[in-house]
Amino acid sequence: MSQAIKHPATIAAPRIKFRADGLLSFLPVVLAVGGAVALALLRWRTGGEHFPSDGALMMLALACYLTAAIFHLTNLYAPSTLFQRIGLWTATGGVFFNLASWFVRWVATYERELAVITRQGGEMPWFFRYIPFANLYDLSLAFAFGAGLATLLIAHRQNFRFIGALSLPLASIILVLARFIGGEITNLPPVLDSYWRPIHVGTASLSYGVALVCFATAVVYLLKDGVKTEAMAVWSSLFALAVISTVSRFSVFAPATFGTYGASAFFGAGEGRGMSLPLRVELPYVGWLLVASGLLLVGGVALFGRYLARESETARAWGRRLLKLSLVAQGAAIAALVWQVKTLTSVVEHIDPRQYAKFGSYLMEQQGLAAQQVAALSQSQLERAAAEFVRAPGGELFLSLRSNPVELSALIAGFTATLFVVIFSFRTERLRAALPPKEKIDSLMYKTGGVTFAGLALLLMTGAIWANESWGRYWGWDSKETGAFVAFLTYGAFLHVRISRGWTGRAAAYFAIVAFLLIVFTYLGVSYLLPGLHSYA
Amino acid sequence: MSAATNPQTKIMSAPLAAPRSVAVPRPSASVFARALDLLSSVRFGVVLLVLLAAACMVGMLIMQVNVEGFAKYYAELSPSQKLLYGSLGFFDIYHSWYFDAMLVVLSLNIVLSSIERFPGAWTYVSRKKLDASAHWIGGQEQHAALSVEGGDAQSVAVRVSAACESLNLKTRVTEKGGKTFVFAERGAWNRLGAYAVHVALLVIFAGGFLTAQFGHTGQMALEPDASAGEMSETFFQLDQPQTTTVALPFEVECTDIQQKLIDKSGPTSPTNTLDWLTSIRIKDPGHGETEAVVRMNKPFDYRGYRFFQASFVPEGKARQILLRVTPEDEGAQPQDVTIRRNGTATLADGTRIKFADFFADFVLEGTRADTQSPDYNNPAAELMISKASGETAKAYAFPASAAARGPVVGRAVAGYKIQLVDFEKVGAAHVLSVQKDPGAGVVYVGFVLLALTLAGVFFFAHQRVWALVEERGEGKFEVTIGGNTNRNRLAFEDRFRRLVKALAGEDEEAEVQQI
Repeated sequence: MSQAIKHPATIAAPRIKFRADGLLSFLPVVLAVGGAVALALLRWRTGGEHFPSDGALMMLALACYLTAAIFHLTNLYAPSTLFQRIGLWTATGGVFFNLASWFVRWVATYERELAVITRQGGEMPWFFRYIPFANLYDLSLAFAFGAGLATLLIAHRQNFRFIGALSLPLASIILVLARFIGGEITNLPPVLDSYWRPIHVGTASLSYGVALVCFATAVVYLLKDGVKTEAMAVWSSLFALAVISTVSRFSVFAPATFGTYGASAFFGAGEGRGMSLPLRVELPYVGWLLVASGLLLVGGVALFGRYLARESETARAWGRRLLKLSLVAQGAAIAALVWQVKTLTSVVEHIDPRQYAKFGSYLMEQQGLAAQQVAALSQSQLERAAAEFVRAPGGELFLSLRSNPVELSALIAGFTATLFVVIFSFRTERLRAALPPKEKIDSLMYKTGGVTFAGLALLLMTGAIWANESWGRYWGWDSKETGAFVAFLTYGAFLHVRISRGWTGRAAAYFAIVAFLLIVFTYLGVSYLLPGLHSYA
Repeated sequence: MSAATNPQTKIMSAPLAAPRSVAVPRPSASVFARALDLLSSVRFGVVLLVLLAAACMVGMLIMQVNVEGFAKYYAELSPSQKLLYGSLGFFDIYHSWYFDAMLVVLSLNIVLSSIERFPGAWTYVSRKKLDASAHWIGGQEQHAALSVEGGDAQSVAVRVSAACESLNLKTRVTEKGGKTFVFAERGAWNRLGAYAVHVALLVIFAGGFLTAQFGHTGQMALEPDASAGEMSETFFQLDQPQTTTVALPFEVECTDIQQKLIDKSGPTSPTNTLDWLTSIRIKDPGHGETEAVVRMNKPFDYRGYRFFQASFVPEGKARQILLRVTPEDEGAQPQDVTIRRNGTATLADGTRIKFADFFADFVLEGTRADTQSPDYNNPAAELMISKASGETAKAYAFPASAAARGPVVGRAVAGYKIQLVDFEKVGAAHVLSVQKDPGAGVVYVGFVLLALTLAGVFFFAHQRVWALVEERGEGKFEVTIGGNTNRNRLAFEDRFRRLVKALAGEDEEAEVQQI
């Protein structure tokens, strides 16, 4: 039997002190957040004149994130302390501008309503009414901040700084998406005027940000674990193909409209106003470039499939060539799309009249006709109504990058996925060697996944309490609720996969990847594709 | 998990086995045991989570009966889609039998797999591993070997123990078979955190069950000065929503409705609204009268019922009006009076003016006043004027801007010209949502538990360190030290490294992170 020994207190023993220098590695976070708060206070005290707008600050954040991403990536292939430092400090700048933009938006929203309410002698509502968590633009700004902040926090460990190479490009895509959505400040729907909003949406943006980092870690884990870049190429290509074939209402590959891409017509005058109509304007060249990208991807998938099944080196080499060509074609398609949206003037000539019947019934519904009344109208009546609307003087249709923000972002995401696979295929072994050991990446994945899981639980709970305060039920299977719940379940599965024998490692990484895709679906898909109470954001 | 390694299986299958054929268990027993095995496996739990997620995705992608616009969506589906989705219960998947069954099986899985794993976790707390072989310590995820000089084995062990204590680990020094061991740990209770999380989840499920079984949510439209003693509850039968009324044990009287606008000259649309306020008086036999104001996001609780500001009827009305009353007599001074809805003002000469009704877009249909639209295009207040003499007359007050519009505008009635100077906009009625939910409280308890336990699980860890002190010649000792953690490996790695450096007498300050 063992026996306990009382130890004399007199013997000198090493004392391990609390180390203050460990805190120094959190300096970027402190500077970014503190700087943004200081800037916001300055903006608050001095007013909006001679001060950069929230939109300008957001563009600065985007520029910083992109620059930092490039330095992080370069550092992976050619490790250099200088590049690593530049990467870290530009990322810090990005987080600073990102948060500053959000704060400035808060002040600007307050001042906007201040003018209206005080003019009529009304009483100013509380300051939190104006917190920028009102729409998808605001949430995107916060989401990107969450991702940037998580990246900086993780950069506290030097050998995890590589994560910025993946998380910062993703944060950039979110900001680009925000740019497309458009950042006009609108009146707040009264149901959102609750103190639960900052709590609930704040939790959402931070946990989404951590989820993004978890996703990036999972991808890196798979790479380190020896998943072939060809297999990754198959998945990224299938994703890009799914995007290409669904955008523009499936028009790219559909037999009747093969090789066409249409952007939604935009209606309504003035900067920051207007709406996207369910009426597509065909953009020259874009459709064919997308078809070319798609076919190259199909070829790449087939060749990589052959390589993975039969180890055929020729197939592998050709697959890589097709993948690179497709990358170029995708880039060209996106460039052509943006170019056409900016320059196309004869919008009406590029509208396919075959859409008129459907658009006509949309118009009738907008004018307040009931579904039965619309159904009673003849095809030609609807077509006439649509044609009249399209050609109506004074209400000119035009194109805007805000027409189809999700489609455009999805195309950019497909392009980025392809780009990363191409980058990973370049000197893969060297890249693998530069990454930290697998167990460490796994620890980071588990940690970020666990925090995301807890964050999503908190998100669901605060959402439920808020819903119970304003809608009279804590759970109603609304699309957004369910979407967050599905992501929560998937992170739950991720955590449990790790403790079930035989499934650890890769299976967990796959769950982390799928879970993040579900978060993105909840974040965007629900707002744009599904009906429900959360349709504002 | 194989049956041989599963203690649960052994316990359950033993009594069921036939006494004379111990070697060959009855098939039924084995099926039962296997089912139990399956139900308590984590893998099965993961499969259930995936299935549940898939069912939720179906519910997201196929519009559910209770969502606004379902009738239109349903009408546009093809007959085969209607048949297929309908027979699979996809239009109301969250209330389908198989969805409920999945939740029940998941709950069972949580309970059974917890029962199976809990004893193992409990041993971390109840039976601590105080000693370990050098080989075993060397096999830990973090390990090191040190040579130490001076003193005896015990004093070396005490040094190790003190170093561990300064890292906030609780230590025990033991001696066994002539060897000295140090065991240090912190956060052993963290091993139990996961079970507490599952208890919290089950509490939430239980609350959800109570809500689904015993909860009621209805709507109640309230016009000012009207009362209601029942609420209407909506049920969905595909595209045919049905409404039933549920009687309340008390009566709700609306004393006032108010809509606070951002821009008071703007419309009463939600985008121009700060808040809706509904003042109610509850008359409850046996409990007296209770007054309350229900606002957006500020519900009111009363005897298990909650009242919410849900929506409003956007027909333009006025909560109060400001009138300028000018007597027809030469040189008489105009007088401004403010009258609340259904209220009365008395002028200096004893004439009483009652604010009877309000029309946002006034139109005369024959002799009857009405509104053409819900918008404030041509506002007018209907007044009843009672002279002190007993003579009464009906009058309409318009804004000055409406002077040239129609016969009734600007005409003197009962000796007065009355102008509508200002009015406070409000809808015709407010709709309150009434909820009686015995499950919500239980769910909230589950929420609090879940938040606390999740924090306990993910922000703490069970860290353990073992050290074995062995004498290697006169005054020389070898310390084999190793440790592990169940969570947050990176932080533990740091701590362990600092511990070893401190014991080795190295300068731990030397390693400074570079930024």
